[in-house]
Amino acid sequence: MSTITRTLGNLRKIGLKEYWHQLNYIGDTKAGVLVGTDRFGNKFYENTEELPLRTRWVDYAKHDYDAAHIEPLWHAWISYAVDTPPNKDPLAAAAERPWAPPSHVPNNTFTRSAFKTYSTTKPKIQSWEPFAAPR
Amino acid sequence: MYRHTLTKRLPAARRAPLPVISTGISQRYRYYSGKAPSTRPERSPLPAAATTTTALSTEKKPSALAEYVLTSLDGLVNWARQGSLWPLTFGLACCGIEMMHVSMPRYDQDRLGIIFRASPRQADVMIVAGTVTNKMAPAVRQCYDQMPEPRWVISMGSCANGGGYYHYSYSVVRGVDRIVPVDVYVPGCPPTAEALMYGVFQLQRKMRKTKITRMWYRK
Repeated sequence: MSTITRTLGNLRKIGLKEYWHQLNYIGDTKAGVLVGTDRFGNKFYENTEELPLRTRWVDYAKHDYDAAHIEPLWHAWISYAVDTPPNKDPLAAAAERPWAPPSHVPNNTFTRSAFKTYSTTKPKIQSWEPFAAPR
Repeated sequence: MYRHTLTKRLPAARRAPLPVISTGISQRYRYYSGKAPSTRPERSPLPAAATTTTALSTEKKPSALAEYVLTSLDGLVNWARQGSLWPLTFGLACCGIEMMHVSMPRYDQDRLGIIFRASPRQADVMIVAGTVTNKMAPAVRQCYDQMPEPRWVISMGSCANGGGYYHYSYSVVRGVDRIVPVDVYVPGCPPTAEALMYGVFQLQRKMRKTKITRMWYRK
């Protein structure tokens, strides 16, 4: 629920600069505690007095933000899959899996490092190489 | 690796003239172009090595006044485009249900300016959701042809991406990109409503990067 009293109350808590920043990125005025920051620099906030499913939000580090910038464990937290944030979870700190990449890889679609398909099978047809014997 | 095996398979007689070919434009193709070899100017043996100081087109900043103006103009047009995506629904199978979820209150596509249109003549983007059968394929193509430019296509789900579960069926098109050019592929069987929305965000990103008037100016 966005009411004028809520907006003004949150504005008083967070200040004009943060209010303008939130208006440009979240489109709402929210006040909460900074739960943590992931390795990308995204800041995660929480305020349990908000409406359900609006209590956790993220302030992305990049201007051209993308949901894939969030690290997996923080993604679990912000999607309400776990309640303990990864920076307070001892299990998350110990979760170093050998098969996992050392750092989170964001979605590279429409960038130069985007995935391109390639064939792994032997071609059934061989291309003809044009060759004219000199006469 | 594959190319390496091909070269190895070539007989020695074919392999021999390779150094001659690499000195310039292929000697063999001259006979096909119909030009006498003497009329063609000699080229340098190798193209100049790409310098690391050359900026990519995506990294280049505007320098002249016209470029500044056109960049802002592109930003304005792209902002308008990505703020009112009107999709033509092509719900063909279970993916269509997930596509409907996006329009429902929980994901609420109206807040992104996305309104489903029933007519291809009013649509910007076609969301192909589900299995495209051979029988449906001409209709898909006709609807795409009726859409006005600029137009985009989102292929949603395994079946539309590449045939999916029905890849080996006798009656199914193995991917809608055999019929229409696809911008965004959303994987999943079916993809969740979040996944489709993420695909829409990716399409908006593609729109943001489109250089409309800048490309016109460059020509």
